[in-house]
Amino acid sequence: MTKRQVIYEVLKGNKPPYVPWSFKFTVEPKEWLQKFYNEEDLDIALGNHILNLGSDIGFFEEIEPNMFQDVFKVVWDRSIDKDIGNPREPLIKEPTMEGVYFPNPHDPRFFANIESEIEKKPDLFRVFQIGFSLYERAWSMRGMENLLMDFMMNPEFVKELLRKIADYNIAQIEKAMEYDIDAVYFGDDWGQQHGLIFGIEFWEEFMYPEIKRMYKAVRDKGKYVMIHSCGDVDELFPLLVDAGLNSFNPFQPEVMDLFEILPQYRGRLAFHGGLSMQKTLPFGTPDDVRNDSEKLLELGKDGGYIFSPSHSVESDTSMENILTFIEVAQNQPAYLAHTGSEPVKLLEKYKAINAGK
Amino acid sequence: MEQLYSQLADCIEFGKINQAAPYPPQFKGMPGADELTQQLLAEGASAGDILSKALIIGMEKIGVKFRENKVFVPQVLMSAKAMSTALVYLKPLFAQNGSDRKGTFIIGTVEGDLHDIGKNLVAMMVEGNGYEVIDLGTDVTAEKFMAAGKEHPDAVIGMSALLTTTMGNMEKIVREIKAAEPNRKVCIGGAPVNDAFAKKIGADSYNPDPQGVVEFLNAMAS
Repeated sequence: MTKRQVIYEVLKGNKPPYVPWSFKFTVEPKEWLQKFYNEEDLDIALGNHILNLGSDIGFFEEIEPNMFQDVFKVVWDRSIDKDIGNPREPLIKEPTMEGVYFPNPHDPRFFANIESEIEKKPDLFRVFQIGFSLYERAWSMRGMENLLMDFMMNPEFVKELLRKIADYNIAQIEKAMEYDIDAVYFGDDWGQQHGLIFGIEFWEEFMYPEIKRMYKAVRDKGKYVMIHSCGDVDELFPLLVDAGLNSFNPFQPEVMDLFEILPQYRGRLAFHGGLSMQKTLPFGTPDDVRNDSEKLLELGKDGGYIFSPSHSVESDTSMENILTFIEVAQNQPAYLAHTGSEPVKLLEKYKAINAGK
Repeated sequence: MEQLYSQLADCIEFGKINQAAPYPPQFKGMPGADELTQQLLAEGASAGDILSKALIIGMEKIGVKFRENKVFVPQVLMSAKAMSTALVYLKPLFAQNGSDRKGTFIIGTVEGDLHDIGKNLVAMMVEGNGYEVIDLGTDVTAEKFMAAGKEHPDAVIGMSALLTTTMGNMEKIVREIKAAEPNRKVCIGGAPVNDAFAKKIGADSYNPDPQGVVEFLNAMAS
């Protein structure tokens, strides 16, 4: 069974031969790993099962030092946060859609890597990513506090803005469907550490109608829907499943009870993530990481689960902790048996490299 | 006049900014925080009474509802907007009579961190509860906190971090402040921090929500 087929089994709610995984890293840890493996493209070395296609946050042009303009013409200040940055000022200054610029959803850059990546890694599960997929795109254009108050003061403007964002995404999805992809992955953070940012009533009024349209555009073509939404959002799961959702990330252990939720939804919704990014990875020992990882693999062995840290791993996580969870995933007895591979000894290798310095 | 205080408190709690504002629908066409504050002042109410009998009452109610997940960030923003509309009229009067305020609170997001929604909510809630707020913004260094502390010797300092990567900066800042001024009260907040972390780094208080900060400040001020 290829990695692609293993993910299909997970998303269908069947028991996979082993627990698949897929990891992402922010800039610094990615560079550590590229050096460690002596590989530019980490998907193969890590054994990732998911192939990320398109561009999650879009394309940026540096218009002056530290100021990066996205395709919607929002300028992001990266003088402190180098990853994404903060919008310099609201693009939509008044609650009206008059004169609001929308880019070409078929911009060839979004599709440029699809064929070459699939050709390079044909046995991975192919996911076309749409980042900033609704609320985030809206607040990046209008300013978060303005948008949240618009929910009450200018609801028709909010609905029009969200509808246009969803139209843009759907046009992009339709183009992506011309390629041999398996799923579309939407990224949109709705949660806080406790509860939703704006509550389920506003979520149902403003987000849900557009979410249903976007998910339908994917599901009608027989493809899967995967999402990422940080925070305490599990109260939305029944509505999301009804709208056609198949897989949820990041599955943060600090905000939801993974061991209760996963069995409850197995067969209806799969989960991707789960390894603590707020506690274990930055502050735990390699033993803590190993314990947590093994518990998650045990939880996921009957299906409905793709193992991963609950977010792209950041530079506050040690290389030992990173190599530990990679090693635990790659050395699962069921995986070794299924693929006939030998166990990897990443920590040993890392220690030997350091000792030789 | 008691009726006006109560009406103004309702405007703060439910986020009715002025008569023209369409929100909340149940207050349609009624005077809002703007008109009621002006009316109270015209009838001779003091800024201190308007603060304690209306603004603080309304903000406390919304703070408790937010803690209990009965309302969310949008409703708190509307209350804060109504409150700041009232404060436009009251601030010049506070300047004439500083004792109307319960104390001073210096707040900022720690060095290296730009997340400010939570920090802003705390600042709004604290201000609405009768404190002068010195908001240093985001990416605030120990030096900046301490310089503001020098200008406001009795102020409590509050700081926030959203990222695990900036919790180390929070620790460094708290330790520097405490080394220079052991008696300076410092409170912390933000998604990844907790009570154990507050104790570890020597902060005086951790609160998971804005109302908790208000209660900590009230306890310090009493």
